[in-house]
Amino acid sequence: MLNMLDILGTIAGNVLSLPGILGLALGMMTRNLLVAAILGGLVGVAEPFIFAGFDASKVETIDLVIAIAVGVVAGCIGRAIRVKGATV
Amino acid sequence: MARSTNDEKQPGFIRRIWNAFWSPSGVLSLGFLIIAGFLAGILFWGGFHWALEETNNEEFCISCHTMSKNFDEYTETVHYNNHSGVRATCPDCHVPHEWQHKVKAKIMASKDLFHEIIGTIDTDEKYEEHRLHMASLVWEKMKKSDSRECRNCHAFEYMDFTIQETRAAKDHQLAIDEGKTCIDCHQGIAHGLPAGYLEEYRSIIEALESGEGVELQKSSLLDMGPATEALKSFLNGKTE
Repeated sequence: MLNMLDILGTIAGNVLSLPGILGLALGMMTRNLLVAAILGGLVGVAEPFIFAGFDASKVETIDLVIAIAVGVVAGCIGRAIRVKGATV
Repeated sequence: MARSTNDEKQPGFIRRIWNAFWSPSGVLSLGFLIIAGFLAGILFWGGFHWALEETNNEEFCISCHTMSKNFDEYTETVHYNNHSGVRATCPDCHVPHEWQHKVKAKIMASKDLFHEIIGTIDTDEKYEEHRLHMASLVWEKMKKSDSRECRNCHAFEYMDFTIQETRAAKDHQLAIDEGKTCIDCHQGIAHGLPAGYLEEYRSIIEALESGEGVELQKSSLLDMGPATEALKSFLNGKTE
């Protein structure tokens, strides 16, 4: 149960942090799904390092994986918003 | 104008809302939408942050009955009462300052509400039974984060060893040399220590160093006797 909460907490933290918000914003800048996913993923890669003070030894694999996944999903959602809500 | 739409089925309320939401605005300028969105964002984010901070103070923490015992223990420590009047309240030690980690801590704290409701530690006996397990969870977290919350106030870099007690100065120098973290020596700094805490802490360190998952002390909070049985039977009843 605690591990599940740990994972849920990490996901929520990422959704409300750079991967979720900046990933969504970057995704909204393109109509290309791959570009949106890559932009979101890059934010997901950068975020754990930023919060770890750019010390790779303090970045846990699971945190990095979740951040990238959230970034990619946010980027794709941002792209969907762009396609649905804009004519340009 | 012919009213051919009479024969067509009108979209439902939710569909009309959805269509309106995704339709271009015919009456509002782009500038208006940007400014309004910006203001709405400030209001939402400010409100969200304010609500989060409302759950991040000592009054909120001790509003639960189950927090009374560990709060009483904390009031007898130097973090509550000292010569300078500087205090470390519950969130100072238990809630990270960094946004990402703070949100994670808040999500994980939902389990505390669950245990408050079912009364896992609502008596002194139950509290003592679970004390080692609860302490283990905090120690593991602090060890993994290099005592991040302690270091919000304490830093080796700014310690003047010449005005510390000889033993403290020596141990702090040793901690720097050996790369130790605060919680390695300061378990029980704000709450009582359970029996067998040293063995438990050693097992946490060994598990973390070996890269395996930490097998915490067996009085798991998931094993709550009658409460667990009641919950299981409730869930079984739902699924059957």
